[in-house]
Amino acid sequence: MTTNALTAKNLTVSFGGLKALDGLNLNVELGQFLGLIGPNGSGKTTFFNVLTGIYKPTNGTVLLGETDITGATPNQIYEFGITRTFQRLRLAPTLSVLDNLILGNQRNLHLGFIGNIFNRKRLRREIASQTEQSRELLGRFSSGLVSKLYEPITALSMIDRRRVEVCRALISDPKILLLDEPSAGMTHDETSALMNELLAWRDQHKELSIILIEHEMDLIDRICDRCVVLNYGQKIAEGTYQEVANDRMVREAYLGED
Amino acid sequence: MIVPSIFRERWPVLLLGLAAYVSTFLFLHLEQEWEIALLLGIVPLVLYIAKKSGMSAKCRQAVGVAPVFTKVVFLLSALALIVTLRHEHFALLLLATVLLYATISLGLTIQFGYAGLVNFAAIAFFGIGAYTMAVLNQSQNGLPDLMIIVIGGVVAALIGSLLILPVLRTKGHYAALITIAFGLLFRSFLEVNDILGGPQGLKVSGLNILGWDFAQSFPAILGGGSFYVSYTLLALVLLIGVFSMTRLIESSWLGLNMDSVRLDETASASFGINVARWKIMAFTVGNFFAGMSGALYASMSGFVAPASFNLSDSLLLVSIVLLGGMGNAVSVIPAAFLVVVLPEKFQVIQEYRLLLFAVIVILILRFKPSGLMPRPLRRLINTSSK
Amino acid sequence: MDIGFLGQYLINGLVQGVTYSLVAVGFTLFFGVLDVIKFSHGDVLMLGAFTGLTIYLGLDPLSLPPSITLCIILIASILSMGFVGALLCKFLVLPLKSAPPLNTLLITLMFGTVIRESVRLFFPNGSNPKPFPELLPTNAINLGNLNLRVDSVLIILFAVVAIVLTHFIINKTRTGLAIRAVAQDEETARLMGIDFKKTVLITFALGSGLAALSGVSTGLYYQEINFGMGLMLGVIGFSAAVLGGLGSVYGAIVGGLIFAALQTIGAIWFSVPAYKDVFAFAVVIMLMAWRPTGLLADRTSERV
Repeated sequence: MTTNALTAKNLTVSFGGLKALDGLNLNVELGQFLGLIGPNGSGKTTFFNVLTGIYKPTNGTVLLGETDITGATPNQIYEFGITRTFQRLRLAPTLSVLDNLILGNQRNLHLGFIGNIFNRKRLRREIASQTEQSRELLGRFSSGLVSKLYEPITALSMIDRRRVEVCRALISDPKILLLDEPSAGMTHDETSALMNELLAWRDQHKELSIILIEHEMDLIDRICDRCVVLNYGQKIAEGTYQEVANDRMVREAYLGED
Repeated sequence: MIVPSIFRERWPVLLLGLAAYVSTFLFLHLEQEWEIALLLGIVPLVLYIAKKSGMSAKCRQAVGVAPVFTKVVFLLSALALIVTLRHEHFALLLLATVLLYATISLGLTIQFGYAGLVNFAAIAFFGIGAYTMAVLNQSQNGLPDLMIIVIGGVVAALIGSLLILPVLRTKGHYAALITIAFGLLFRSFLEVNDILGGPQGLKVSGLNILGWDFAQSFPAILGGGSFYVSYTLLALVLLIGVFSMTRLIESSWLGLNMDSVRLDETASASFGINVARWKIMAFTVGNFFAGMSGALYASMSGFVAPASFNLSDSLLLVSIVLLGGMGNAVSVIPAAFLVVVLPEKFQVIQEYRLLLFAVIVILILRFKPSGLMPRPLRRLINTSSK
Repeated sequence: MDIGFLGQYLINGLVQGVTYSLVAVGFTLFFGVLDVIKFSHGDVLMLGAFTGLTIYLGLDPLSLPPSITLCIILIASILSMGFVGALLCKFLVLPLKSAPPLNTLLITLMFGTVIRESVRLFFPNGSNPKPFPELLPTNAINLGNLNLRVDSVLIILFAVVAIVLTHFIINKTRTGLAIRAVAQDEETARLMGIDFKKTVLITFALGSGLAALSGVSTGLYYQEINFGMGLMLGVIGFSAAVLGGLGSVYGAIVGGLIFAALQTIGAIWFSVPAYKDVFAFAVVIMLMAWRPTGLLADRTSERV
């Protein structure tokens, strides 16, 4: 049996008396594109926050491949190769596009104090290679964006900002990418375009597993290999989109009982 | 001909250097209040004309094209300034104070402007450096004075690290409280204990570097002058060193990560930034600068006393950073100049100094939060392409 | 240890403690509603005391009985400080709502400085301490070794009444409900039809009124006020609020009492009583390192 890229076993997160996640069992296979759906408050973003170390689980384990990463800090999670985007877009608005991208590539930078101050030659080389890498990555998404490399984020349109945030998450060549409602603030076409660009990139990085939280169902239908539906912090259905869309419990969760 | 073509694109820089020299000289040299007031009226007018005529754009461009040349020109202006003022005790003392306050402000810029750490105890770290100089300078140890200045910085940084744990574990306003509490604690401590001279303070002997006694007048061979010339020169050297380091930090991965920490800690952690590390680095480096500045100040003024290290001084320093434009290492220097020199020249407003600057800061925060000169976008220089 | 001696320290500590608690409650109210640290709080306290003094001097020729004068002073300074608080809110704090919280901290800090310096510069002979009128009975009850000052008891009573009143307003009135709603979730409160601006203004006025009360009672107790008293009290009040957990009114009360206790311990323990502040601040710094969100709960304000 092949090991899953990511496995969550019996994951529970409580805030006071409220169980945001309740014994969640979920796994993602290598190279899979998993859709995570569910009504508001079902625990989707909480799940991401636990995965990325922002919340500590009250119970349960998270495995990356065979490695137990339960309770790791956000820095450690990054080192393990899990990156994410945020629902409300968390870029550094007053920094340039290039700055934002390079920030995502921490593991490939020399960060020592002495080195940065005194070994400027090496720093210049790193700046050059990071700029090149950022250019190349951005170019796969939008050639127009490349010319805006030195613009501040505030000068960009929403879809360009989303692109930058996705690229920031991809630049370190992660194993797992978590996308939290990338469609928020964008039109249907813009979201489609972004997803297509992502899929094109993924064709060359077949081992990347992606988990996508979304409310736009036809997007999930079109691009996800598999879906998991959450409600009240638990998994209530999984399968292809078509399968879960027709599941009775899922319909109840979204629409209420007939 | 090589010479003319160099100057063709760089002459705005020369003009800038000249303007800086002339204006600072006048501000420091003139003594009548009406003269200063006139100057204060002329300067914004000149700036306005420069902007409208396109001159400031030309200057900015020239500076961008020739950074090293710019630095040399300004260094020469500063030296020319010191030379011109070499017989004026008070003007030199003022200039030296400006340079030292600018040094602390650069430290604050790193802590506050880059890493987002509020430090309302800047004067306390300055004071730690000052007292270190007072204590180490008196005893007959063999420590060279230059090293004591550095040690002053180190001691300040070390004591600062005692605060680091609480500062790290708390968010924004809590951290501010800790630094305020520390500042008050430091002042109380100085007044209460006897080892460090209590409320009277301690006397500090002057510097003696490589055999040159700073207390004597500047040598006649080099033009003669007040003994303050030596201190001012040393303060200039310190400022240049600190300024260079600040710029090097800003234009490297250090500054980039500090910016990220300031702007969004949670997001920063999510792409691997060790938030604590950068905060510690910024806090330590900033306090180090303040400590060195304090050590030099102590030997220059000849004594240290608790009354010099108040919360109001820390607030004044914070207002310098805000006035200059948070995170802008260049404009912090003229801001320090204004905040230190103007109250001295307008004796009338000496008393009102803090009130005046508090009001100015309120206005800035309310209407122009980016300060007089906002921080320019970082542009990491890529040598391989355009 | 002499019981009378200890008792004296206890009473002093209690008076100090409730004063700090009042200030701390103010801080906590502001923070709860707007996530704002109003650093000018201590200086508003001082201004309240000076306002009280000014009114007293104005009323002096009328030779009213002390209790009436006291009432007038209290009401006048509470109302005027409430007004100042509302002004601060309207012109300096609300406009900065979308700016980084650091800016609000700085602007209130500077505003406090403006108040402090203004009193120092513009109040006649402002840089020197001023005697505060004796409007409370000056006698003391003799309980064996302990001389219990009547005014201490009255001040503690004042403070307790004020705290209870605040508690009542916050928890049992519609205004208080609005305040709590806004403190919890601004957006939802707005959706529920609560006038955000008005609620915030009221909160600031309320907090500032409390500060005025603290200022006047401090003046009454020590019979002296000076322009710098607000700074120390403000920092202490803030420390107390933080100790108890910013956002929690009970925490603020507890924090105030704890800080006074620390000072008292410091004064007794160290042979030089002047070290008490050093001691108290050092302990606060350490406590914050250990429990950054305060001893009681703090609201987490971040949504990821």
